[in-house]
Amino acid sequence: MRIRNICLVFGVLALSAGAALAGVEIGQSAPNFSLPDTNGQTHQLSQYKGKWVVLEWYQPDCPFVRKHYGSGNTQALQKEFTAKGVVWLSIDSSAPGQEGNYPADKLNQIASTQGAARTALLLDPDGKVGHAYGAKTTPDMYIINPEGKLVYEGAIDSKPTTVVADLKTATNYVKVALDDSMTGKSVSQTVTRPYGCSVKYAQ
Amino acid sequence: MNPLFPIRKLEANCASVPRYRASLASRSASLGLAIAVLMAGTVMPGRAQVVDGRQLVKAQLVADTQHIEPGRKFRLGVLYTIVPKWHIYWKYAGDAGIPTQIEWQLPPGFQAGPLQWPLPTRDQEPGGLEVFDYSNEVLLFTEVQAPEQLPSGPIELAAKSNWLVCEQQCVPGNAQLSLKLNDGGQGPANQDIFTKYSASVPKTGSPPAGYSVSMKPSGSQMVVEFAGVPQGSKLDFFPVPPENVVLNHGKQAGNSVVLSVDGGAALDRLKGVAVIQANGKTDAFDVELQPGGQAAATGNGASADLLGVLQAVAFALIGGLILNVMPCVLPVISLKIFGFVSEAGERPDKAFKLALVFSAGILGCFAILAAIVTFFRAIGAQVGWGFQFQDYRFVLAIACLVFAFALNLFGVFELTVSARATGGLAKLAAGGGYGGAFFQGAFATILATPCTAPFLGTASAFAFTQPAWATFLIFFSIGIGMALPYLLLAIQPKWLRYLPKPGQWMIRLKQLLGFLLLATLLWLSWIVGRLRGVDGMVELGGLLLIIGLLAWIKGSFWTPVSPVRSRVLAAMSMVAVLVVAIGSYLFVTAPSQLSWQAFSQQSLDKALQSGRPVFVDFTADWCITCKANERFALDTSAVRQAFAQNQVVVLRADWTHGDPEITQVLKEHGRAGVPMYLFYPGGKDRPPVVLPELISSQTVLDAMKTGSQTVADARKAS
Repeated sequence: MRIRNICLVFGVLALSAGAALAGVEIGQSAPNFSLPDTNGQTHQLSQYKGKWVVLEWYQPDCPFVRKHYGSGNTQALQKEFTAKGVVWLSIDSSAPGQEGNYPADKLNQIASTQGAARTALLLDPDGKVGHAYGAKTTPDMYIINPEGKLVYEGAIDSKPTTVVADLKTATNYVKVALDDSMTGKSVSQTVTRPYGCSVKYAQ
Repeated sequence: MNPLFPIRKLEANCASVPRYRASLASRSASLGLAIAVLMAGTVMPGRAQVVDGRQLVKAQLVADTQHIEPGRKFRLGVLYTIVPKWHIYWKYAGDAGIPTQIEWQLPPGFQAGPLQWPLPTRDQEPGGLEVFDYSNEVLLFTEVQAPEQLPSGPIELAAKSNWLVCEQQCVPGNAQLSLKLNDGGQGPANQDIFTKYSASVPKTGSPPAGYSVSMKPSGSQMVVEFAGVPQGSKLDFFPVPPENVVLNHGKQAGNSVVLSVDGGAALDRLKGVAVIQANGKTDAFDVELQPGGQAAATGNGASADLLGVLQAVAFALIGGLILNVMPCVLPVISLKIFGFVSEAGERPDKAFKLALVFSAGILGCFAILAAIVTFFRAIGAQVGWGFQFQDYRFVLAIACLVFAFALNLFGVFELTVSARATGGLAKLAAGGGYGGAFFQGAFATILATPCTAPFLGTASAFAFTQPAWATFLIFFSIGIGMALPYLLLAIQPKWLRYLPKPGQWMIRLKQLLGFLLLATLLWLSWIVGRLRGVDGMVELGGLLLIIGLLAWIKGSFWTPVSPVRSRVLAAMSMVAVLVVAIGSYLFVTAPSQLSWQAFSQQSLDKALQSGRPVFVDFTADWCITCKANERFALDTSAVRQAFAQNQVVVLRADWTHGDPEITQVLKEHGRAGVPMYLFYPGGKDRPPVVLPELISSQTVLDAMKTGSQTVADARKAS
């Protein structure tokens, strides 16, 4: 009997732990946040109401991130859509001591080497925003419409590999979702399974 | 597949960054790697994936045999040895990570089955992320079907694997692996790892005894319910969701595991692995769940679908009836009808009883089959219709019975019941008594099982998923269907009138039926060949030869009218035949205790360079002299001892398929064929001693002495 009780307690505990990674639902308001970027400026999601916003979970050392930056794939997307007025916020949720947690100037240095064309790189070392969105991997992508509602969440594209050559044949879900939703069409694939390294949250 | 981007480059990029905390770097990686070193020499290592001087994952291609037999299945796998703390991923990686991939590169005609994944660990990563992974070591494997025709000589198998290995960081890795089999080695290999990891692959088919799993959607949540599990069981469900479906972590709540789907939409079906940990034992089995439905996941003790059972029973009756005219049963059944005819002519009352007993034999056998199925399912094994024919020993036994039956029909011998037991003259011919009728019913059933008839497939497939009582009911229904004609004869004896009158024609018909049984035997020997290759078929032939001999002795010298002396002599010769047969079988099949290596000019040169003496045996499977020499002269304790003392390298040049390299060497020594034996006393400049075709142990020892003497002389002279 005692074993059974212990199991029940664990079950309940586990269920409540699962809630910690609840995330956001498509069509619901994206949770507001306030985070500093690598230049010390603070960004709130609410300040971008009326604009399309892309959130990109990022940390420079993950081989999957390297695939998309090393090939120039992400930078090209950033250029294309920031030119159309889209706000592109990359978020680094790596906790101190974990992979991908760097001082701001080091991140700026990497960004300029890579030729990143994002609006800002936000620092989320305590993982609060990552957890609020349920971000699991780097990269993990979210698209928010001008009304502040979530229209897409998931993978950057359809080929979950670290192979650069796969970019050619992959469907870029972010580009498709942005193209569709920005021209008033409904997004056909609103949720995909993100792939990559785990977000390096605090242990 | 394109190669993953180079790891070297990745290292170079990160050179300025402190990658590991000191404690991590100092941890020993030797444990995991040491395991791999212990593996058999039949493997080739994959390309190294080195970070900070540590090879994170070592991949090796391994097989469960050293020698592939034509038409047979063997297991082939990739063994991953992972440094401590790091992990690679299951077929569904979880929140992050990428499933490990294997692409088999097999020679034409080889067919690889689905990849078998041992049960992974549900692992927590910081921030509430969960992954399904393997640490330290894992074997991912598949069953490979070899083609009927194999090329002679070594066979090279290859595979390419991609993986992602993660700890604090993730590093992609890949390897191009290869493995050479049929390279002189014989017998199984890597049994321990294949046994270990096969045991942890989730079972397919029906869940283990007493368990059942079903799914109920509740909004966006999927509730996987377990029934029949012991109190306090730890339950889990490792999902394998469709592409682009994101599932939240499954959590146990009472007797359920609750999963939820991101994005809100409920799934109409869910594949995965149900894991039950109870009483120190872990049961894991594959399930495919549908809301409400549970056909794919019902086990013993669970409630059965009554309508389904009724339909299956009807199908079983029809199918069983049709079985009577299926080719595997027809000969035996015809025999039985024939038996009824002869009995009906003489003693009609006995014919009814025989029909009843025959039906009882059929039903009894079906009851035993149902019991075996239930038993095997209870212990978690997988069985299907005709499962017993998967074991070659069973097929051998049946083949022997069929052959004995045929000999009986040809009149080589008569089965007689001991005079003492009947208290009078042994009067019953083969199958004439009630015991015979019962046995024939059972025999007909066993022969019937590999023959699935129309309607029967549906019924039996259903029976295998049902609780024990339904399995029994359906099996019984097949039996009743099959026994129906005889039951009718028993109930309505008047119908026997419509059967033809007995007479001389019966003896001729009996002999004709004997040939039908020989045709059945042909089919059985083909099965043995498929299961055991050419050696198995020869074994069967040998067995049949002995049975034929025994039957002849029995029929000629041990009949009810034979004098006692003749019977005693017959019994003694039968024992003698058996002893000689078993003795020669053991002698012929005993594996050589010499450590043979395959001959090639290269292997010879290498052995000579080492300075050790070399003995080369030029042989072929079809050369009886060669085999006799090997068995009586070479593989003897005296020669083995001499070889060991002098550290002789023993090479075997197998000319079975006519290797041109071997032909050349034979020619050089003035021989047109095998056997030929060469002894190189050591050192490459010493010419070899050529031994005669017929050798004894002494010939070999003498040749070694002569050879060594010349070497010693040469040393002295120089």
